[in-house]
Amino acid sequence: MIPEDLKYTEAHEWVQLVSPGVVRFGITHFAQDSLGDIVFVSLPEEGTAVGQGDACGEVESTKSVADVYAPIAGTVTARNDVVETSPEAINDEPYGNGWLIELSVEDESALEALMDAAAYKAHTEGQ
Amino acid sequence: MLADTNDQIQDSEPQQPRQGPLHQRHVDLGAKLVDFAGWLMPIEYEGVLKEHMYVRESVGIFDVSHMGTVLISGQAASALADVAFALDVAAVASGKAAYGLCLNESGGVVDDLLIYVRSNTEIMVIPNASNADKVVSALTEVRDSNSEFADIEIADVGIEFAILAVQGPTAGRVLAEAGYPTELDYMSFIDIDDVTVARSGYTGEYGFELVVPTAQAASVWDALVEAAKSQDGGPVGLGARDTLRLEMGYPLHGHELAPDRMALTAPVGWTIGWDKPAFIGREAIVAAKEQGTDRKLVALRFTDRGIPREGMAVVNLSGEEPREVGVVTSGTFSPSLKAGIALALVDTESVANGDELAVDVRGRQLATERVTLPFVDSNPRVVPA
Repeated sequence: MIPEDLKYTEAHEWVQLVSPGVVRFGITHFAQDSLGDIVFVSLPEEGTAVGQGDACGEVESTKSVADVYAPIAGTVTARNDVVETSPEAINDEPYGNGWLIELSVEDESALEALMDAAAYKAHTEGQ
Repeated sequence: MLADTNDQIQDSEPQQPRQGPLHQRHVDLGAKLVDFAGWLMPIEYEGVLKEHMYVRESVGIFDVSHMGTVLISGQAASALADVAFALDVAAVASGKAAYGLCLNESGGVVDDLLIYVRSNTEIMVIPNASNADKVVSALTEVRDSNSEFADIEIADVGIEFAILAVQGPTAGRVLAEAGYPTELDYMSFIDIDDVTVARSGYTGEYGFELVVPTAQAASVWDALVEAAKSQDGGPVGLGARDTLRLEMGYPLHGHELAPDRMALTAPVGWTIGWDKPAFIGREAIVAAKEQGTDRKLVALRFTDRGIPREGMAVVNLSGEEPREVGVVTSGTFSPSLKAGIALALVDTESVANGDELAVDVRGRQLATERVTLPFVDSNPRVVPA
């Protein structure tokens, strides 16, 4: 449940470089499983500038709410409308249809500082 | 991502939680387990939403063995219960169960419980897990202060029994398949082979609760779960138990009821034996009935998108400027209504009928409408066709 080709944050988000200068991110399988059934999602407007680690949205399940943090600095270029109308997509396909936000980023190299799949696996096993 | 969780069920005791008689069953079913009042209990198996709808649409099986079991036996057992509890126990016929309160002298709620009257000389009480010892203390105090009750035995036998609930429109078929009778009126019970079968529950649906000797717990659980699966139902955890009870507006001790809060702030007046000459807390609760309470519970349904949680502030938007008038005691997402719902304790004088109330959800004032309970159109008294 931890795809090899993605990068990961300590806050249980996955990040993917989808085209030069554009990353897509969402929450991991581990995160959605910990939250339980997700019923509300709020995401930032397109054009919102975010710094690395900034809270930029919320994912709320029947039992708890979690902030969404920007994995690297950038500007919101797309938000996944699917998860706002069908939040269960995050539970069903956290790495697919359940993605959250796309950012245009100036410094792609910031991705390199994030965890790879093996490091993230070790991170989740520590929790 | 998970930095800011707000789990409603929190560790309440520092020591290792106890495992109930069905612990291995829950592990095998892949349940998420949490420490609930000192017991390691299943919060969910397949997800709160799915399990919630099992109960509203077909059937769900609950393990609530963390709840206590207390037996009061001996001559005048019923009379002792009538002093210890606010309910009019003498008015409950043998073979019937009733919901009642155990009050303290100031009219606060020591616990809310189900009281099963087997006869005048034998009464079984089901208190909440974390309050069983307090209920036993309250009963013991009444016994020891009155020589008439000296021979009555008060036994905390929680460890000897599992408690299972079978709830939902097809609960009767599940019970029949497992070999138990279903022809019971609402709040009636019958004892069969050491198992007590009651037409009761905490979900608002037609259903049953079974008090089962620990040695039989696994086999009864297996039979019920297998039968439930053939009815497109399954096991249901404490997560959905909470969303189900809240959709009905049923109070939960520690949330809507508390030892340091007058019982009548919650809509529980119907459980009080007002005509009884004496019971613990009578003076305080009779006074509160006459004078009114300075706070009261209201039921709020969100019209904005969002989920209220315990502890969030209630804001009155009517009047010159918004002002804080209360606090959410229980809040959740209603799977049936697909909206946030809450019970909230508000200052009686600060809220008039028709006032617009909002809940402060992390800095946003989300709009609500005040509703009459229950939030959903369910009635446990009705036998499904």
